[in-house]
Amino acid sequence: MSLSLAAEDSFSLEESRFKQCCAEFIKHSQQIGDGWEWRSIKDSADGYMSKTQFQMKNGNTPSILRDSTKESDEQTLTHVEEALDDSQVAETCETSEVIRYEYHVLHSSSYQVPVLYFRACFLDGRLLTLDEIWEGIHECYQARLLEGPWDTITQQEHPLLGQPFFILHPCRTNEFMAPVLANSRRENRSINYIASWLSIVGPVVGLSLPLSYAKLVSEQNTEAD
Amino acid sequence: MAEVEKQPSLSAQEGGRGECGEEPSDGGAAVGVAEPAPPSAGSPVTEEPAEDTKKKIDILLKAVGDTPIMKTKKWAVERTRTIQGLIDFIKKFLKLVASEQLFIYVNQSFAPSPDQEVGTLYECFGSDGKLVLHYCKSQAWG
Repeated sequence: MSLSLAAEDSFSLEESRFKQCCAEFIKHSQQIGDGWEWRSIKDSADGYMSKTQFQMKNGNTPSILRDSTKESDEQTLTHVEEALDDSQVAETCETSEVIRYEYHVLHSSSYQVPVLYFRACFLDGRLLTLDEIWEGIHECYQARLLEGPWDTITQQEHPLLGQPFFILHPCRTNEFMAPVLANSRRENRSINYIASWLSIVGPVVGLSLPLSYAKLVSEQNTEAD
Repeated sequence: MAEVEKQPSLSAQEGGRGECGEEPSDGGAAVGVAEPAPPSAGSPVTEEPAEDTKKKIDILLKAVGDTPIMKTKKWAVERTRTIQGLIDFIKKFLKLVASEQLFIYVNQSFAPSPDQEVGTLYECFGSDGKLVLHYCKSQAWG
């Protein structure tokens, strides 16, 4: 049961639905305190979703700054053993070890899919290189990424901010989204494209979504066939 | 190995059995699963009597798209097994090549993080005593 090109096209995410899905996504994020927010460009209808999070260089989240839904308690506490309380985190951890990740979700008009832009810097402002970012990527995805890294993570100028970001290239997004969307259509269940998509691509770059997003469904049905 | 297998923490179920019985799997595929160092690595999974459902949960695997369908769909899985562990297992079971990526979904649309434990997913999304997971193969990163 392979999908024809025409079928794949019908799973594209046009801008209005992109914004709608983002709005629902952010509403849920606010409910659970997950930190996503919408940033609009003034004098323009354009905008994107944005989230900032902090991680230790070894990939773990500093326990003080950790999203409370994360589960790796023991592991995290072991690595941040010297952090005694909130005020001491910045001093006891070497500043070179805490990394600030910024994630942006934009809409690609050429591919008609969302795109994940990200960058990371140390607390002193130094941007991480791609190699350094890869070190923080979940090991289960590293093997896949390393087989064709330049096809999947590229550096691009942020179309709205004009600053260099890394992106997970959108050219294959339709490929892995199509089965999920086809399935939802077949089962007559509406889903939130952004939540589904981000749950798949996020972990590749160190971003994970709390499980409650799984229950997020579109307020309206998916676009009529 | 009539008793619960030493190695695999996955055991197959057949048919409409409601209980979490332990049986040898179809093609012996459960043997030799590479454990990705589960948190409770110290304790082997040998001691559970057949009726003990506390440490394992029932999972029903459903294929999405043109992904091959697994001959055995029902599995009893340790609660602490991670999604990544399950992905590795299914990939081996289906004999996928390295360039093929496998995704697992709850609610048919949401991919849990690779380090998410199935026990937690069962708590959140299980119903009728089982957790339904959809899996889909893709060459997304190729």
